[in-house]
Amino acid sequence: MSALLEVSGLTKRFGGLVAVKDIGFSIAAGEILGLIGPNGSGKSTVMKLIMGIERPNAGSVRIDGVDVAGWPTHRIARQGVGLVFQHSRPLHRQTVLENITLALLPDSLFRLAAGSHVAARAREIAARVGLEGVMHRRPSTLPFADLRRLELAKAVARNPKVVLVDEPFAGLTAGEVASFSELIASFRAEGHAVLLVDHNVKSVAALVDRVLAMYLGEYVAEGSAEEVMRNETVRRVYLGGKIELAARPEPTDTGRPPLLDVAGASVLYGKAQALEDVSLHVREGEFVSVVGLNGAGKTTLFNAISGLVPHAGEIRFAGESLRGRSAAQIARGGIVQCPESRELFGGMSVQDNLELGGQHQPAPVRERQLAWLYELFPILKARARQASRTLSGGEQQMLAIARALMMQPRLLILDEPTLGLAPVILEQLSKAMELLRQTTDITVLLGEQNVTFALPHADRVYVLEHARIVWEGTPTRFEAEMGTGYL
Amino acid sequence: MLTLQILIDGFAISSLYALGAVGFTLIFGVCGVLNLSHGAIMVAAAVAAWVFAGTYGAGPVGGALGGVVVGLVVAYVTYGLIVRPIQRSRLIPHEEKEIFVLTSTLLWGIMIQEAIAYFFTSNPKTVPPVIPGVINIAGVRTPTNELLTAVVSLGAIGLLWVLVNGTRRGRALLAAAINPRGLTLLGFELDRIYLLVWTIYGLLTGIAGVLLGAFLGVSSDNVGTLTASAFSIVVLGGLGSVSGSLVAAFVVGYLETCTAYLVSPTIRTVPVLLLLVAVVYVRPQGLLGRR
Amino acid sequence: MSGRTLWTGFLVALAGLALLPFGVGGYVLGLMTLAYYYGVFAMAWDLLFGFAGEVNFGPSFLTGLGAYAAGLLNHYAGWPIPACVAAGAAAAVVGGVALAVPALRLSGPYFGLITLVAVLLLQNALVLNAGFTGGEIGLDLPDVLSADESTNYWIALAFMGLSGAILFGLSRSAVGLILQASGQDAVEASALGYNVTKHKLAAFCISALFSGLAGAMLVFYLGTASVGTVVDIAVGVQVIIAAVLGGRRTILGAAIGAIFLIVAGELLRPLGQLSTFVVSAFALAVILFFPGGFLGILSSRGGAR
Repeated sequence: MSALLEVSGLTKRFGGLVAVKDIGFSIAAGEILGLIGPNGSGKSTVMKLIMGIERPNAGSVRIDGVDVAGWPTHRIARQGVGLVFQHSRPLHRQTVLENITLALLPDSLFRLAAGSHVAARAREIAARVGLEGVMHRRPSTLPFADLRRLELAKAVARNPKVVLVDEPFAGLTAGEVASFSELIASFRAEGHAVLLVDHNVKSVAALVDRVLAMYLGEYVAEGSAEEVMRNETVRRVYLGGKIELAARPEPTDTGRPPLLDVAGASVLYGKAQALEDVSLHVREGEFVSVVGLNGAGKTTLFNAISGLVPHAGEIRFAGESLRGRSAAQIARGGIVQCPESRELFGGMSVQDNLELGGQHQPAPVRERQLAWLYELFPILKARARQASRTLSGGEQQMLAIARALMMQPRLLILDEPTLGLAPVILEQLSKAMELLRQTTDITVLLGEQNVTFALPHADRVYVLEHARIVWEGTPTRFEAEMGTGYL
Repeated sequence: MLTLQILIDGFAISSLYALGAVGFTLIFGVCGVLNLSHGAIMVAAAVAAWVFAGTYGAGPVGGALGGVVVGLVVAYVTYGLIVRPIQRSRLIPHEEKEIFVLTSTLLWGIMIQEAIAYFFTSNPKTVPPVIPGVINIAGVRTPTNELLTAVVSLGAIGLLWVLVNGTRRGRALLAAAINPRGLTLLGFELDRIYLLVWTIYGLLTGIAGVLLGAFLGVSSDNVGTLTASAFSIVVLGGLGSVSGSLVAAFVVGYLETCTAYLVSPTIRTVPVLLLLVAVVYVRPQGLLGRR
Repeated sequence: MSGRTLWTGFLVALAGLALLPFGVGGYVLGLMTLAYYYGVFAMAWDLLFGFAGEVNFGPSFLTGLGAYAAGLLNHYAGWPIPACVAAGAAAAVVGGVALAVPALRLSGPYFGLITLVAVLLLQNALVLNAGFTGGEIGLDLPDVLSADESTNYWIALAFMGLSGAILFGLSRSAVGLILQASGQDAVEASALGYNVTKHKLAAFCISALFSGLAGAMLVFYLGTASVGTVVDIAVGVQVIIAAVLGGRRTILGAAIGAIFLIVAGELLRPLGQLSTFVVSAFALAVILFFPGGFLGILSSRGGAR
């Protein structure tokens, strides 16, 4: 059996950063390959390179024997590649049926009418993916799962030889995952070659024939799902070998009301439930980790706490409700978020970034904080005059944390600080966190999908899945009860 | 002699252009607004100065101050009545806000222009200069007012520079231009920063309008041309880059002055337009822009 | 609003308007004739903005090219009207392609500026070569479409009706769907296998074709080509406001907006100079409070989406 998709030596550089380095694999007709790796590992870039959305610097991409590397996207699509985007990208002003019809048309300037067979085919596809009831509605009125169905419907309509699916199950419930798996399996049954891109082996294990694992742009392992899960490097990347726990004395103020008390918080993005009835609390001096995969709702939860998205339910801080306060007020009030995207002021120097963080403090306090933070992160002192955009990823993360600490938060929210960082940087960051925990009485709420980083420092752990809290307990219990779910 | 004349005239014109364009680029850089009522605000300030100084007998200084205040007020109205409602509107999809801001500020500019024409006619008006008289510079007789224009323009830009680079408020302003979300997370109210930017914008534009009225005279018919030249300078320099706008203002100012003296005043603006087309084709990010 | 409702409304309106010469005088007819040509300008602009997603700040560049190419050929070469109109349309298409080249490379404000500069350059070229082009005063044309007001009116109405039908039909066709996709999300459209560049280029050509045709027809109606009626920035501004006012992305709304602007300006004539102020204020209020424009208001009243 010959390969429908054959990738070799694929390399992509963005400026000085090598996002994808010498990646190669092949997928035969009727085969599903899982491409996995943590955030920032380059797997999505590989997909974009195949589709021609980014141009590779080197390497070849053969579709049924034809090398399409460097071709414009629309020609690659016509050559037989279809892409199911992770984020739904429907035409908002057209109906579901029109969106499907769009994928069925020829690339011609002179085809004015679509023809009745196209309309019939569009209806057939809508029925196949389970959209027959909503064909005449607009995408903005659809629930999240139906939007994902629409993306699949477009792929079905294009009938490509090679189907690329980006994070097929992100944000779906267990029942929806099952029906999506069936749809994807039907691609295989029809002889398409399928590439599934995802974070974790586990979520695609049941569906894939083989798995290729990437980390920081490079090949790590390839084989069956079981083989890859057993692989030493893969385990280290995801779990960091053995989970080490450093105990901290139990907080003694258990009788007092918690510093942060989230009760029944829900967030809707359009029709999509991004957060559903989430309750959690953080006590003064505690270090709490919220563990969850991409799309589970961690960032939404933190944004709700920080007042950046409207939410239902009650969030209280130090006994007072946060309702009606602006995001800036909440930040000045002591809840400081260090977001996943870091949000640094790229063109400004490290020192300027830090000083902006301390602008609400009186000058002596600001200077004391600055001196202390330079001690905690010596590398920032060395780079004080450098524009923050020129820092490495790890240094930027340290700067983001330091800038948040400049505000002297009562509660520090850290969202995915390990995103896209190399293991050696992770260790440095981990040390800094430990130092912070030992030397100050700071309260931290950490969101992570990297369990290795999330557990060692935590006093308590919550697990967030599909917008809901599904587990709560100590790190020790986590390893026993939940550990395997995070490979 | 001609060379010196071109140097002096070009300098004054360029300084004024720079002042007019700096506000325009500031408001784009920090708030993401291309304000097409820019020229109308300048003309409103100039006509107000003319009215206060003449009709109400406030004198040249009082007139100038009154003009600047009117410029500021019109800028506030532009922000409060047009730009802010659009930015907060739920009816307008996010990706279409830009075209709505453009169309609305354009209409608003036309309204200001027509109101001025109705109440004060569209005849050209010259604001009485704060310092009258003529100075002889190495044989070139130059109106004192022309020098004042250059001094005040560059002085105002200098003050802006000090504000942005030398004060904490200014750093926050710069940070808002780079990453507004990051600034919110650090406890800054963006609304207040935007109000500050519109205040600075109103003052700069008001001053530019009054100076223009005293230097070259204005008419309500100039509204479109003034907006277009501010837009051109800002694009030439790189959208949102203040230093780029300064350089571009001098390039445009001198190019126009040279064309007017050496070729013919009738084609004054043509080389600038051609340069603009060339720059946008070859270097779309502008002379000093980065993107 | 469904396509059928719009088509019906469109045809009924055309039929009603065709009866106008039997009821009103020459002055009103002249006004409406002008409004119909502006209606085509606005519809052509809406095709480019609403469907291809390109904001053209200088629609009068295209209309001006069409108008002056036709006018000059008639004045100097004595070509017959149909040949001049065809040549005008062709000149506008060439101009449209010249605009499309930067549009496909640049984004947002930069493209907007190029289109604005294009108008200013054309205007300068015409005024500076006044000896050849008639400059600000205008270029007299030996031929006119017709000396009869009613005939002129019907020609303009038929032209707008036909252009509207073609442009609206196009926007609702399969090609229109691909064009919408290219304008809304170019990455997605190309991932679905569409050559976005090709479709956008086609949109530029079609928009230019109708702008040029309308510009050329307009000068043969007026009997003179002048900067103020077909090239000036103010003309372009009027076109953009008409399209947004009538309802973006509706094609037919653009024509309604254009007719409204001209009729309203005329009705408010007793206000003298204030009339432009009032019309602008009204347009601004509609844009701020009813971003969907006239057709948007109608369709939300009708309840159908």
